[in-house]
Amino acid sequence: MTAALPTAPLHTVGPNLAVEPDAGTRKLSTAKAMQEAIAQQMRTDDSVFVMGEDVGPYGGIFSSTTGLIEEFGPTRVIDTPISETAFIGTGIGAAIEGMRPVVELMFSDFFGVCMDQIYNHMAKIHYESGGNVQVPMVLMTATGGGYSDGAQHSQTLWGTFAHLPGMKVVVPSNPYDAKGLMTAAIRSNDPVVFMFHKGVMGLGWMKKNRRSIGAVPEEPYEVPIGKAKVVREGTDVTIVTLSLSVHHSLDVAEKLAEEGISVEVLDLRSLVPLDRDAIVASVSKTGRLIVVDEDYQSFGLSGEVIASVVERAPGLLTHVSRVCLPDVPIPYASQLEYAVLPTPARIEAAVREAMGGGVAS
Amino acid sequence: MSEVIFPKMSAADGATGVIVTWFVDSGDPVTPTTLIAEVAVDKVDAEVYPETGGVITLLVPEEAEVVQGSVIATIT
Repeated sequence: MTAALPTAPLHTVGPNLAVEPDAGTRKLSTAKAMQEAIAQQMRTDDSVFVMGEDVGPYGGIFSSTTGLIEEFGPTRVIDTPISETAFIGTGIGAAIEGMRPVVELMFSDFFGVCMDQIYNHMAKIHYESGGNVQVPMVLMTATGGGYSDGAQHSQTLWGTFAHLPGMKVVVPSNPYDAKGLMTAAIRSNDPVVFMFHKGVMGLGWMKKNRRSIGAVPEEPYEVPIGKAKVVREGTDVTIVTLSLSVHHSLDVAEKLAEEGISVEVLDLRSLVPLDRDAIVASVSKTGRLIVVDEDYQSFGLSGEVIASVVERAPGLLTHVSRVCLPDVPIPYASQLEYAVLPTPARIEAAVREAMGGGVAS
Repeated sequence: MSEVIFPKMSAADGATGVIVTWFVDSGDPVTPTTLIAEVAVDKVDAEVYPETGGVITLLVPEEAEVVQGSVIATIT
């Protein structure tokens, strides 16, 4: 007997997406938007709890959980010892037994010690049980560089997580998407890796882009997982990007608009599922594709985005390039770190090259 | 008219802090439940809410150093 093939292709989004509400006027930072999303789900669902290193009185080292322990107490906001393998494994066990844990891995860079729990257990139990066991867990983790924290505290690594089947992966760039994606992640019956760049949180001690503060609805809502968003429309060049690089790309697009160069910016928001339709739709308009990604260039997201176009419609592309982190450890020294990060200057040069103007000096 | 004061977060006289973030712009309507600012003294953060509702006027820019207890906005 032959099993019926799924009718929907893999890694695409179904038709019944949540509707994203109007943003309103009340403004929050991305950090506060995440806190609000978690708190609202904890109020309505007793099975939701938070666990991780310094998520209690400290509020998360990048302020993802500030204020939660004051409202919900130490039985639902649990500070753990420094053993990622133990507490992520505990989260998986709780999820299997019907809880909805939100577990923080302090830095994505720390995945090394606990990856067996993440990708052999959290990601695969649903498959290995023949679909009988669900793992409704959120693994949230801080990513990214730009503040001289060294090679083992500055990586994004979302391509690494997205490469492994069994986990949804979301990467918000702003407060609205952070709240909506966190709400969707907690409600999801699948394991979701929620990766937030420290530079989009709106923290006072980081360089703060104004896009880290934005209007956020007060009520709970979902941003659909797997749906990209055109955050600026344009006709000349498509920039496909995510997270902090969205801020830089929008800044460059605004600057170049004054010269008559029209840049479209697509914020992926989710990596798994990847909204390949949105990528192809944008390149259909412009023909020119630049992928801006703070992750390492080779074997990752940027190549996957380009392949999404090349496999479906290779004739669309008149230009393609990447602005990524070269395949080197991220330097500690600020000048060297900013020489490898996908800075606005590098993005601007890539757009000018795509327009045939050569690399700006 | 009412004044919004930079909160006293340090016991030291004349201690200074910074406006980390304004969540509102001059001319915006506010109420006592509107989060209007996040401020910090020695890396300790605090949220600021107005005592009265009205239309806010910001007097100090973001990232400016401010003596605690000084007026940072007015509401009319």
